[in-house]
Amino acid sequence: MKKFRNEYTKETLILPIILIIIWYIVCDVFQLIPSFMFPGPTDVANSFVRLAVSGKLFKDVFDTLYKVLFGMLLASVVGITFGIILGWSKRLETLCKLVISILRPIPPIAWIPFSIIWFGIGIGPAVFIIFMGCVFPILISTIDGVHRTDPVLIEAAESFGASNSQMLTEVIVPSSLPYIVSGLKVAIGIALMCTISGEMIGSSSGIGYMILTSTSLFDTGSTVVGMLVIGIIGIIFDYIFTKIQERIFW
Amino acid sequence: MTFEVENVSKTFVSGDSDEEVIALKDINLTIETGEFVSFVGPSGCGKTTTLRIIEGFEKPTEGTVKDDGELVTGPSNQRGFIFQNYSLFPWLNVIDNVIFGLNINGKPEKESKKRAMEYLKTVGLEDFAERYPSELSGGMKQRVAIIRSLINDSKSLLMDETFSALDIQTKHKLQNQILKICKEQKKTIIFVTHDIDEAVYLSDRIVVFSRRPGMVKKIFEIKMDHPRDRQCQEFEDLVSEVIEMIGEVEED
Ligand SMILES: Nc1ncnc2c1ncn2[C@@H]1O[C@H](COP(=O)(O)OP(=O)(O)OP(=O)(O)O)[C@@H](O)[C@H]1O
Ligand SMILES: [Mg+2]
Repeated sequence: MKKFRNEYTKETLILPIILIIIWYIVCDVFQLIPSFMFPGPTDVANSFVRLAVSGKLFKDVFDTLYKVLFGMLLASVVGITFGIILGWSKRLETLCKLVISILRPIPPIAWIPFSIIWFGIGIGPAVFIIFMGCVFPILISTIDGVHRTDPVLIEAAESFGASNSQMLTEVIVPSSLPYIVSGLKVAIGIALMCTISGEMIGSSSGIGYMILTSTSLFDTGSTVVGMLVIGIIGIIFDYIFTKIQERIFW
Repeated sequence: MTFEVENVSKTFVSGDSDEEVIALKDINLTIETGEFVSFVGPSGCGKTTTLRIIEGFEKPTEGTVKDDGELVTGPSNQRGFIFQNYSLFPWLNVIDNVIFGLNINGKPEKESKKRAMEYLKTVGLEDFAERYPSELSGGMKQRVAIIRSLINDSKSLLMDETFSALDIQTKHKLQNQILKICKEQKKTIIFVTHDIDEAVYLSDRIVVFSRRPGMVKKIFEIKMDHPRDRQCQEFEDLVSEVIEMIGEVEED
């Protein structure tokens, strides 16, 4: 079936290298842009070394990842469970349809005020926002996966005498798995975005917080380090989910 | 007596246009235990629909189907069904596909796998036990689907153009195998096919369906002993007679 290509070859390195060279020439060699406006590669490298050596970078990365994974876990449990139930029962889906359609387009950040009122400070608000951002894509793709179960497979299982619960565990769930994983892959990107935004507003830790505070201290080097780290975490998650998809797309 | 199909009619209403299609009209059939019955007729005459109603996948608009005196209300593991298209579970490898029904019915896995290997051998697929359906050819998939149903020891087997995707050697081999199973285990088999040679080779009776709306046009009874000789005059005459009957139906 479908092949998921995710190969970073030598060619994919060409453009980043060219961009870094141009960046270096513009910012460091000719100093066309003052570093409080945008740092050069040297500033970024210095900031990186400083943050890495002090251990602050790893603490912030860990902090952010912890929230992302915790929020994702909650969203997955709720999204997958309800996705299977709603996908399975036409009546329940109809019942919930409008509520889902209204809640879904609300940007997760719009929940920030309530998240602070309800969960105060600490990781609570961030986890809640991640949850709100991730639960709908997971829910929708799970429902979609259940709907796309080949009716012939359902009938085949029926002709072997499968009970309703066996139908669920032996046919519906495995057959929706590829769609569920696609939903998770989309959700993890959203989770990263939510975390960073959340950390910039209602938090005192994590990469988002680091980005914000370092900019206000004119340490734009650290800001860029934070941004690049997010990008790299994104690539890693993407790679992991692509590997999982390769395994389960038969 | 196994199947009693009484006054079965089926009208499909297509969703958006409210247009009605009368697929079957007043089908009456009685099929005895251990009998091998084929359904033949032009494309679209309702053979698959009849088979699906007998299994319980589809409810008749009118009439009833009974299996051993019991009203059919839904699918059952007493009636194996082999689909026209491939119906293997793509996330299971070949052997797990074959034992799916046994697993569902709580049979011990180790024994099931041993039996599955024996069945796989009979269709020449013992080396493919660990492969996934996407790695098999169409004919191989169909062979797996066939033994997946055979292994369950259901009282009857409903087969929809099951052998049409197979090469002639495999086809003949499986035809003999199915016949043997039907006779030894007294399984009732209903077999939909477009291959008249196949129908005459296998069947105790051949039901010819008329064009839409599907009705029973004629039933041929075949008394020849098994194994039947495809070259003999009687066989060839029967084949032409059935083909002629279908031709007549086509012109109606
Ligand atoms: N689910 C359905 N909805 C609407 N019409 C249907 C449905 N299933 C079958 N039909 C119609 O019923 C008629 C009989 O179809 P059926 O599939 O039973 O024919 P068949 O004899 O098996 O044909 P073939 O030899 O081509 O397989 C056809 O006209 C078809 O269009
Ligand atoms: Mg058909």
